[in-house]
Amino acid sequence: MSVLDELVAGAVEDAAAREALVPLAELKEQAAKAPAPLDAKRWLKRADGIPVIAEIKRASPSKGHLSDIPDPAGLAREYEAGGASAISCLTEGRRFLGSLDDFDKVKAAVKIPVLRKDFIVNDYQVWEARAHGADFILLIVAALDDATLKHLLDLAHELKMTVLVETHTREEIERAERAGAKVIGINARNLKDLKVDVNKYLELAADLPADVIKVAESGVFGAVELTDYARAGADAVLVGEGVATADDHTLAVERLVKAGAQVKASETTPLSEHDGPYFGQYGGRYVPEALIHALDELETVYNEAKADPEFHKELARLQKQYVGRQSPLTEAPRFAKLIEERVGISPRVFLKREDLNHTGAHKINHALGQALLVKRMGKTRVIAETGAGQHGVATATVCAMLGLKCRVYMGQIDARRQALNVARMRMLGAEVVEVTTGDRILKDAINEALRDWVTNVATTHYLLGTVCGPHPYPSMVRDFQKVIGEEIKEQLNDWYHIDHPDAVCACVGGGSNAIGAMNAFLDDERVNLYGYEAGGHGPESGEHAVRFAPGTGQLGMFQGAKSYLLETDEGQTKDTYSISAGLDYASVGPEHAWLHDIGRVTYDYATDEEAMNAFRDLSQTEGIIPAIESAHAVAGSFKAAADLKAKGYEHPVIVINISGRGDKDMATAGKWFGYLTDEQSAALEVTGARGTEVA
Amino acid sequence: MTNETATTPSGQPLGISHKPSATEAMFTKFKAENRPAFIGYLPYGFPNPDVSLDALRTMVEHGVDAVEIGLPYSDPVMDGPVIQAASQLALNNGESINGVFKAVETVANAGGVPLVMSYWNLVFHYGVERFARDFENAGGAGLITPDLIPDEAGEWIEASDRHGLDRIFLVSPDSSDKRLEIVAKNTRGFVYAASRMGVTGERDTLSTSPEQLVQRTRQAGAENVCVGIGVSTAEQASKVGAYADGVIVGSALVHTLLADDNVTARDTAEGLKLLAAKTEELAQGVRDAR
Repeated sequence: MSVLDELVAGAVEDAAAREALVPLAELKEQAAKAPAPLDAKRWLKRADGIPVIAEIKRASPSKGHLSDIPDPAGLAREYEAGGASAISCLTEGRRFLGSLDDFDKVKAAVKIPVLRKDFIVNDYQVWEARAHGADFILLIVAALDDATLKHLLDLAHELKMTVLVETHTREEIERAERAGAKVIGINARNLKDLKVDVNKYLELAADLPADVIKVAESGVFGAVELTDYARAGADAVLVGEGVATADDHTLAVERLVKAGAQVKASETTPLSEHDGPYFGQYGGRYVPEALIHALDELETVYNEAKADPEFHKELARLQKQYVGRQSPLTEAPRFAKLIEERVGISPRVFLKREDLNHTGAHKINHALGQALLVKRMGKTRVIAETGAGQHGVATATVCAMLGLKCRVYMGQIDARRQALNVARMRMLGAEVVEVTTGDRILKDAINEALRDWVTNVATTHYLLGTVCGPHPYPSMVRDFQKVIGEEIKEQLNDWYHIDHPDAVCACVGGGSNAIGAMNAFLDDERVNLYGYEAGGHGPESGEHAVRFAPGTGQLGMFQGAKSYLLETDEGQTKDTYSISAGLDYASVGPEHAWLHDIGRVTYDYATDEEAMNAFRDLSQTEGIIPAIESAHAVAGSFKAAADLKAKGYEHPVIVINISGRGDKDMATAGKWFGYLTDEQSAALEVTGARGTEVA
Repeated sequence: MTNETATTPSGQPLGISHKPSATEAMFTKFKAENRPAFIGYLPYGFPNPDVSLDALRTMVEHGVDAVEIGLPYSDPVMDGPVIQAASQLALNNGESINGVFKAVETVANAGGVPLVMSYWNLVFHYGVERFARDFENAGGAGLITPDLIPDEAGEWIEASDRHGLDRIFLVSPDSSDKRLEIVAKNTRGFVYAASRMGVTGERDTLSTSPEQLVQRTRQAGAENVCVGIGVSTAEQASKVGAYADGVIVGSALVHTLLADDNVTARDTAEGLKLLAAKTEELAQGVRDAR
């Protein structure tokens, strides 16, 4: 006899004993008088959360005694206070130590639906549930033949009760569906080790009609399992031990409800309007508590500004009169010819000229937006990090214009590579601090900026330069950059009478220019989106900043956000390398991580060599010298063209985002191509002003 | 996705542990004696894995009640120059997270309450459940998470519940009352109150704000509140110990094992002697607090 058979036999015996005292006819009269059942289905599915069915559970055959629960009504009220959508009350007395008496108390205590959970196999038990006011009962497919299952399901539905039909296998799910189940409980625990097996859940829940409510029914203990099930598509979860045995029952339910809401909020569409804190499983706020107040303040002020037409007016005015927006969209026919020669496809290529912005890169877009927020917050001091120097220059520029005190942190290696930008920042009145800790590159500059911010947060705004970091930075910086894609769309239409591009290519370090160029097209499936990371000497060399290629990045938390991360076996951040300082970063914006996982953007990389060849190609075919960062996107356009060719395009319209101009890179390029002697190169490197060293 | 689930010997998933908190037991005892706890910090693996075990033992033998064993991290944003340098030395000298459980055992065997302080990515990468299991098995009491706020701690809350480990979250002087409540509600063991805005490091003077912060954190529901960041002398320890449930000292202890250049390690014997002396000095300060 299996455990289930034994439980059913016991339940039938106990029901028969009750029937001897209260015959079915009397029970039916009681049922008629019972308050009408709540429609539990309405509580079990919602767009903004994962409803939690919290269980009153004293014991189970597998785990033995769990909790005394002297006051089931009180426990039910605690669950309700924590946000439970329904209560499950066990009435099986032999092994689960439940009773109908428990059920009556629970039903009387709460306003949410209550499930009678028992081994129900006959009419008497169904009527009994209704007579006790049940809104909702459990039927176990494995305990019933097809005819009985259908009969009991119909009876319960006639009595206006909701039925949770428990299944374990694909076959049982099919039987439940055939019998007319509207709410299916899926038990996706791996029976060998009792772990929640999300793949098994996915396999089981596949092809279930959308109007069937899917309840993950087993193995949900805390936020971890709830999140797993929710991401796999479960509509609701049933939780027993995890809430029944918690020290604080209300808090335990609250945590589950929050976790469910978080999953739902992390996957909203349209993609172009999706806001943080979470992008799928990525993003969040992995920062010291000391920064939470400042991040909350920033979020509040930013949301106010977003809703304030005056803010947008002022930003638009400055973009036009100060930055020089719109930046042109330039057709590149000679470069297109080069693609044709090499790839065998004849595209029209357009360059989005962020290099023509004031300060020579896209960074001014978010620097300006954030600086206006600084004014709004009443702060007086701005700190920033910089890699290539473009973000530092943009920050120093807007701070000079708005009269804000500015300090820029720059890794020592970057500062040497970009000595002229160091001089520019100083010329603009900013203090440049050369960071000599860690690897002395962008990430170390960010660490130092974060330390400064933690210390001076009351007066200081951290003007972060990319779509990384804690919420709200990824959303906010994207919003300030999305003008790039909006202009591309408009200019293609107005200037070239092209409805939409077939492809948009951008380089991805943290990912600000890429998300800016792509945001307007995220929900337009006709537009293929390509992001190019810094391949350095190639992923196999270990000297690169490729986060998305197989065998490179792993899931991790870095500088405030969960995303892909280049890390060692120990979880320490790996050294990254790229010829371009602006792409030389161990992690990537959380929105990109999400777009990668859902397959909306194709991420690939360009090596140093490919990027430098493209740098020369564009310079010599179009007379436009791109930043080395942007040259990765230019190099990528050949790969994108090949991909488009494979997809059957013959004359695709390809837009490449030229995120910045290459003047700053002439020392590197001159050396690379041998236009400068070693002596001249060396002379250029020492011209760079040394920063104030930081220990 | 769940990468590992803790199971009982019969193969059932672990339930909530309900094991009493070792840290709370320590505070209960000290409250009866009307004295604050002395919590000392040292990174594991500093200056190298072997010496760090001696150093941890030395701290307990010379008066530290609970030890905050730091896990060295490549990007320690909450730490000032001294701990950054120590962490870097540890990493250069082959520190590995696997070894920290040995350090936990060392502290427990010496009679101290072993706590670990780790930036979150290290624990996440090791596997939260796996870390909790190994930490519990080594006799660990709780984990201090400087860059993990309760709002992001779902996986850790679950694992710590299953393994009966303390969750020590931080508060800072500009935390709102609402934030203090969230932290107090999710904390187990004690709340770590940062004495001021900023990173770790020694300070000549302490502002009056920590006392207010301790008050506010208690009002928000915290049982035990300890103060750290910036405490480096016996006098400061006394002052803080007068109102806090525990005094946390880091950089001042770490400093004793660093050479005068603040980059390399001091001679081991000399370093341990200085560490013992500094520990005693601070322990005396803590004992004189009330």
